Amino acid sequence: MRGQSALTPRYVFLFNMDRRSFLGTGFLVTGGVLISPTLLAAENTKRLKKVTILHTNDTHSNIDPFPDNHAKFPGMGGVEKRMELIEKIRSEEEHVLLLDSGDIFQGTPYFNKYKGVLEMKCMSALGYDAATMGNHDFDGGMDGFLKATEYADFSFLCANYDFTDTILNQKTQRTKVFKKGGVKIGVFGVGIELKGLVPETIYGKTQYLDPMKEANACALELKKQGCDVIICLSHLGYEYGDAQVSDKVLAANSEHIHLILGGHTHTFLAVPTQVKNLAGNTVLINQTGWGGVHLGRLDFYVDDQLFAKKEMVVVQ
Amino acid sequence: MRFGIIALLVLFLGACASTDTIAVHPEMLPVKSDSLSSNALTAIVGPYRDSLRGEMDRVVGFSPLNMIATRPSSPLMNWVADAIFADQTRTVRLSTPTFCLLNKGGIRSTINKGNITFGDVFKLMPFDNQIVWVQLPIECLKDIETYVRTSGGEPIANARIENGKLLINGMRQDATHFWVITSDYLMNGGDKATFFSKRTEVNKTGRLVRDALMSEIQLAGTISADTTLRISF
Repeated sequence: MRGQSALTPRYVFLFNMDRRSFLGTGFLVTGGVLISPTLLAAENTKRLKKVTILHTNDTHSNIDPFPDNHAKFPGMGGVEKRMELIEKIRSEEEHVLLLDSGDIFQGTPYFNKYKGVLEMKCMSALGYDAATMGNHDFDGGMDGFLKATEYADFSFLCANYDFTDTILNQKTQRTKVFKKGGVKIGVFGVGIELKGLVPETIYGKTQYLDPMKEANACALELKKQGCDVIICLSHLGYEYGDAQVSDKVLAANSEHIHLILGGHTHTFLAVPTQVKNLAGNTVLINQTGWGGVHLGRLDFYVDDQLFAKKEMVVVQ
Repeated sequence: MRFGIIALLVLFLGACASTDTIAVHPEMLPVKSDSLSSNALTAIVGPYRDSLRGEMDRVVGFSPLNMIATRPSSPLMNWVADAIFADQTRTVRLSTPTFCLLNKGGIRSTINKGNITFGDVFKLMPFDNQIVWVQLPIECLKDIETYVRTSGGEPIANARIENGKLLINGMRQDATHFWVITSDYLMNGGDKATFFSKRTEVNKTGRLVRDALMSEIQLAGTISADTTLRISF
């Protein structure tokens, strides 16, 4: 029983189950009945490869915890407490990937004063592997972002901001592949339309590319590279009342993405949302709210045989 | 729990025999601990934290009065609008009628009698709204009159509203347009300022409202607010 809280959902999402073997999606398993000692035999568990995905979004320069008299999050968050939690997980798990979905900057005087340098130093010390850019990560100007990210020892993944004619040319990557414990994880990032959110004087000659098109292209590239798990870092926002592209819209119109780690809308999801993609398979969307108040964790168990197809089943 | 998950997985994987499988177990973990933790990050953050506290406590000016934002207009509302107007027009010769319109909702704190600190200005204006100049056709005067009447009063400078009528200093009979110095938040329709969608031209300054306020306080040393009631209906 590690750090169980009232928020911890008792879900397991299984990808690529052969549906005909079971009752279909939403099959309910009532805990103890099915747990038999023989199932835990070493030869049965050792073929599972496990990777722990940790993620944040919209931390908004919250270096310090929220004050103790804060109406919603008294005493919560803060980079030192985040480190404590992450270090504990790292001591228990061999293969950890730590990701962020953007809007690292803006929200406390730390950003106004130090222009994002401290945020980058902290994230590097926390061992982040990759992040995508949120609209507020432009707030110090692209030159400000460039200066701050001199202190970042992790990659920024931006597939739909074409920075070719800007000072950020080749400073971000489209995709990145991580190998963790024999599992190949492909990660890419997509961001929100800057027009209307970021002054044009700041984003300048950045070309905004269709996030859905780029996301699907990235996912296909990563699949062709043999990735077992494909993760989209998104700063598109969870859901809108109109036609604007959101994580939900992207998920429904995707084919190869397993997990979308979202941001921008500061949405808190106690349990990841499931959306059916174009192939009828399930995509998971997760988002942690904002301010570094929560850390999302998703443990991926991958069978030795590489997956390729089919369905995800929820076991509750 | 963890043991149970493995058991379930093995059961499932076993049951589907050769099916290729990924399973995901999600958890949302609150970042909270009962004890104040000190770790490797404390050493990194410490100097910044101490320096920022010093910065936030730094005195930038003085106020001889307690000032609060109240409708229809008040010394604080007047001061904020005057400060933005002054910051923007001190070195500019205005050829078209121009006034400043902000929103009371954007003034998030009071200015208290005594020293004003850097941190106080952040509390007054925590948002990173930027100053914009918006040109509107003359018929929009009525929209603004309606807007301010509906809300009960907003901060204005270089203008007054008398018996509900907006009178901009320097207004001429033949004027076809006028400029409003405001925030990008309002220009984009924030606080129901929908009339800004009728804009004919925009100049984005890239200057933060807060930075302009800070600069005006530092320039004045001791601030003084106009106590005139600028708005009447």
